[in-house]
Amino acid sequence: MTNWQLYKLIRKNDELKDLRHPMFEKNRFMKFLAWFMILYYAAIMLLMGVMLPMGMRGTYNGVAAFHVLDGGLIYFIIADFWLRFMLQETPGQQAKPYALMPIRRSFLMNVYLTRAGLSLGNLFWGFFLVPFALLAVYPLLGWSGFFGWLIGWWLLFVANGYAYLFVRTLCIKHLAWIILPIIVHGGLLLAMLWPDKNMLDMPCTLLMYNFALCHLWPFLLMAAVIALLYWINYKLQMNMVYNEVAKKEEVELKHATQMNFLNRYGALGEYLKLELKMRLRNKTVRLQFLTLLGMMVLFSVLLYFTDIYDNGFMKSFICLYDYVGLGMTMLISIMCHEGNYIDGLMSRRESILQLLYAKFYFNSAVLLVPFCLLIPLMAIGKISVWMNLGYLFFTAGVLYPICFQMAVYNKETLPLNQKLASRQGNWVQQVVSIVMLFLPIAIEKLFTLLLGNPWGFIMLALLGVVGLSLHGWWLRNIYQRFMLRRYTNMDGFRASRNF
Amino acid sequence: MNIHIKNLKKCFGEKVAVNIDSYEIHSGEMLGLVGNNGAGKSTLFRLILDLIKADEGSVRMIGNFAEQEVNINVSETEQWKDWTGAFVDESFLIDYLTPDEYFQFIARISGRSQDDLQDFLGKYEHFMAGELMGQKKLIRNLSAGNKQKVGIVSAMLLQPQVLILDEPFNFLDPRSQSAIKHLLREYNQQTGATILISSHNLQHTVDICPRIALLENGFIIRDIDNSDGQAQAELENYFQVD
Repeated sequence: MTNWQLYKLIRKNDELKDLRHPMFEKNRFMKFLAWFMILYYAAIMLLMGVMLPMGMRGTYNGVAAFHVLDGGLIYFIIADFWLRFMLQETPGQQAKPYALMPIRRSFLMNVYLTRAGLSLGNLFWGFFLVPFALLAVYPLLGWSGFFGWLIGWWLLFVANGYAYLFVRTLCIKHLAWIILPIIVHGGLLLAMLWPDKNMLDMPCTLLMYNFALCHLWPFLLMAAVIALLYWINYKLQMNMVYNEVAKKEEVELKHATQMNFLNRYGALGEYLKLELKMRLRNKTVRLQFLTLLGMMVLFSVLLYFTDIYDNGFMKSFICLYDYVGLGMTMLISIMCHEGNYIDGLMSRRESILQLLYAKFYFNSAVLLVPFCLLIPLMAIGKISVWMNLGYLFFTAGVLYPICFQMAVYNKETLPLNQKLASRQGNWVQQVVSIVMLFLPIAIEKLFTLLLGNPWGFIMLALLGVVGLSLHGWWLRNIYQRFMLRRYTNMDGFRASRNF
Repeated sequence: MNIHIKNLKKCFGEKVAVNIDSYEIHSGEMLGLVGNNGAGKSTLFRLILDLIKADEGSVRMIGNFAEQEVNINVSETEQWKDWTGAFVDESFLIDYLTPDEYFQFIARISGRSQDDLQDFLGKYEHFMAGELMGQKKLIRNLSAGNKQKVGIVSAMLLQPQVLILDEPFNFLDPRSQSAIKHLLREYNQQTGATILISSHNLQHTVDICPRIALLENGFIIRDIDNSDGQAQAELENYFQVD
């Protein structure tokens, strides 16, 4: 078999992997929604790509529009990097099925790394950049400037993709590596946002301007950076294939936490321990959980120290996101991790009900984190006490009951320790996510309009308190409906296990 | 506890996985289920444990529990879970717990005290061979044999009146296979529990089960009395063992 035939076979297998996913056929609406969302974002980016240069009329304060955009290059790079966590698998994971076959590992690595570099995902920003370049670069520098500038951006995203692969692979080894991009990006942001002295504006602008002028040195520089990152990834990924196959996990726990303080709550305490241990001892869940906690802190710090979100709507939205972020990402897939051991749970009487209680208490307790993080903002008067209380109670008492409905409908097992790159969600989860983000704002605005400030937030708090006081009733209702759908759900959990 | 199976049918597409007109497992009986791959052993266990939906028919448990008469259809109530212990496969185990934690979890959610648990585990020390307790190893990091042991011990932890074990001898070393045979026989004699096991190991099944059901394509084709060990020849003949 030639290398080309082998490459085609691997590509076909990768396509089949997605097509034959047990959830693939069951989620036609989700596929439609996914495409719709891609088109939606593409349309927004296109619109921005057109509107921005038109708004600046070619220049902004005497500076060419594309120079202004180039000055903010770091923001694009950082956003692009973190978005990849949702979408991109590492070559080590992709190559795993072939690891013990008579295929040269170096060939596999080169295939997957090259595909990562040439991935269409690296062109996604093109929806914004192409119209922007057409309106802002072409009129000033002609077609050579247009192409040179766009190729420059593309090379930056390719390099960023390899940087992501490097970090992501290290994170599989140990989660602590997540600190590396946080420090690097934090440093870059600090340099960008330093009062009265943006240290990166000029270098970024110069780099992109030289791309647009089609000077050779920026292309050579980026080619060298990409080649270096490719080589580093190659070495690292080769090592990781062995780890993926051998799964050299930590064999012994360093600290087997007993959490004895929960013993006083009897069976419920045991399920609370289970919930805590699930978050702490499984890489995927832990990474997701810590990332969300990190985002809460980041948003609160941004709100406190900067004025970038100081308009009323954005402040309200960021505060709300602090509260619902966790629910939107983790509770939306409630029971999916339990799909790994659902048979064991189902062979114990009312264990699902107890588990639901534990999840509710645990996630409600976690809401105290954003509440405390927002207290300093209350102290300096950036947000009101009622806003903080309103979102706290509304999330626990109204949004969580909505989220917990997913326990009835979720039937896809999520791996506890592997990355969820190609996960197929379902349309109900998407709808609930949207409701979580916009329902509180809609209710708050409605009552503020009717009764004035701060009645919108007071109503949110009141509705939340009602929901909280009824939690026993709605949790049992969810449990009863789960039991009615148990066969369908258990079949789904079994079918999607180990995918 | 008696188990009554009536008109039980389960198909996966065109394939009939289980099709049993009527079958009764008496209280205190040790029943061995044998059959080739795909005969329907695991599916039957899953139907008895209400883990999959039967296309037709029912499984009833009839007997006494906590000094009360019970007669229930397993798909209509969860009451049977109070007296039933089972281990079918790894999906019964919560693999991010250590064996100690997992046993404690099962014991506490079932209302058993710490002392009870320690007494119980003491009896199984020989079976666990010092490889499970106090190890600080997560279940997912254990060998297949040790995972099997965790599953079996946790199924027995409730001291159930109905015990269901799918392929309990799999992955176990010879000493542990012998130990589990001894434990099951002793448990059956001491508690009068109804025990159902499936196995591809004819020798072990014949050794401990006075009654053996032979499954083929979902049907129980023979119900063999093995009270004096006479099933061995019949089974060897069926499976064409040289």
